[in-house]
Amino acid sequence: MTDQNAVDVAELTKTFGGIHAVEKVSLKVPIGQRRALLGPNGAGKTTLFNCITGSMRPSAGRIFLFGKDVTEMPEHHRTAMGIGRTYQITNVFLKLSVIENVLLAVQGTTRQKWIPYRSVESFPESLARATEELERVGLANRASVSVRYLSYGERRQLELALALASRPRVLLLDEPASGLSPAERQRIAGIIAQLPRHITLILIEHDMSVALGLADQIAVLHRGRVILEGTPDEIRANPEVREVYLGKV
Amino acid sequence: MGRRGWLVLGITVALALLAPQVLGTFWISLVIQVLVFGLLALSVDLLLGHTGIFPLGHAAFFALAAYTTAILQVRYAQPTLLAAPAGLGAAVILALVYGLAVRTSGVYFILVTMAMGHIVWGAAVTWASFTNGDNGIGNVPFPALGSLAIRNLSSYYYLVLAVVLACALAYRKLTRSPFGLTLRGIRESGSRMHALGYNVGAHRYAAFVLSGSLAGLAGVLYIYFNRFVSPPTASLHVSVEAALMVIVGGTGTVIGPFIGSAIILVLRNYVSAYLVNWMTIMGVVFIATVLWAPDGVLGLMRRLRAQLRMSPARSESPMVVAGEGKDTP
Repeated sequence: MTDQNAVDVAELTKTFGGIHAVEKVSLKVPIGQRRALLGPNGAGKTTLFNCITGSMRPSAGRIFLFGKDVTEMPEHHRTAMGIGRTYQITNVFLKLSVIENVLLAVQGTTRQKWIPYRSVESFPESLARATEELERVGLANRASVSVRYLSYGERRQLELALALASRPRVLLLDEPASGLSPAERQRIAGIIAQLPRHITLILIEHDMSVALGLADQIAVLHRGRVILEGTPDEIRANPEVREVYLGKV
Repeated sequence: MGRRGWLVLGITVALALLAPQVLGTFWISLVIQVLVFGLLALSVDLLLGHTGIFPLGHAAFFALAAYTTAILQVRYAQPTLLAAPAGLGAAVILALVYGLAVRTSGVYFILVTMAMGHIVWGAAVTWASFTNGDNGIGNVPFPALGSLAIRNLSSYYYLVLAVVLACALAYRKLTRSPFGLTLRGIRESGSRMHALGYNVGAHRYAAFVLSGSLAGLAGVLYIYFNRFVSPPTASLHVSVEAALMVIVGGTGTVIGPFIGSAIILVLRNYVSAYLVNWMTIMGVVFIATVLWAPDGVLGLMRRLRAQLRMSPARSESPMVVAGEGKDTP
């Protein structure tokens, strides 16, 4: 039987010391859905991401990717299965050039990464794909620049390009627009909106207009628990969300 | 490499080929040492400059290879054809075992590799029945392949030059390959590399084994030159000096470790003639490097050149164009 869920999180708990960062969270994201996670700081959104991608082991609960139990699977194997992510705090390769950054993402899921006797330039297909990804995020003209010299906004674009370059089937975006100016936010939101629909998206975003505009379905987290799930309209109308997320007025 | 690069390389090789005709024994010995320890430093730089982990035990591979070759040549009278590959093989095996160190990182990696280096040193000192203890093993002959034998220092110099040059070119190829790029990615962000599908530990292990093997090769070249090996060759001192060469010369390049090797060995040879405690001078050199040339001599030269090129009128944008942002030579 094929599982229609790209990501299925069952009763997931992650504790740090005595603190429950994530507590018995269950979440099913069907293939092709765009899901936004909302919640104030410390709600456990990024911890949930880290457990799904495999950079953290959950304390309890199971995680399924396309119906396969990946709870014990190392992070890089999950990437090979089609999971991709971005980071809230930009995590790129600062002393490498922009194109080298994306090349690393392109070759990450191939055997090519082990080849020691041919130059990077001798793989035109990889270069073409990397350039394609840079065009998608609008960084093609910066390809040979060292990332150190990119602006913060450009780094956020690169952050997205890295995640896309490994051709994920499930893409987890951790506040892709954080710290950006309104114009830059619109640009990032535009890039995300134009992604092919077969990519399942899970998005953490504090900017309500960005999140509600992109998502099909929304889950609201608070203190490590999912307190509400619904469509953007339902969420918008819900008084509890307004209180938890936007603060009491 | 651009046209100028090949030209510089050509001139360097031509000078290197002529060297024995011009230089006396003292200088040829010094040049051989620069090449051999430069190769050792190059092996350190694969980890330090490219992978971003700081090994402080590479004397272990260097000395184990030297000891293995020396013992086979001298005590068991084995030919070079067996003794030299055996020396290299011993270093490879040791690197396969010591590679476990990559499970740690940061300061723990430094400490673990240091301890691993100490094990070899300890064995060299205490297992006297096999290693001759502090007396070491001497009278290693020049290498010979049947009737094809090296008979003097300048012939051996050519052999060392050929091996080191071949290694440097292969190394350059490796660092520009997808594998080399992977190592630099790990240096910049291991967590991101994991998320992009890399088994970071496996790549670091591969780099460690390669690096240890290269250090072993340097050890084999060393023993046929020095013709004598004793515990100080395996000491922490050698590991530190190799790392120092990389830092002084400049990390992440092919030529940097050799420049560092030349600076340190020339200094040592000159300064030790006037000062008993030449280590003090080494300390000063190291502090000066860290303070004023953190990217080593190469980085300093690159910076000065950039300053010269950039006239005050257009010095506003720190734009870097293709190539300069990369950390490969």
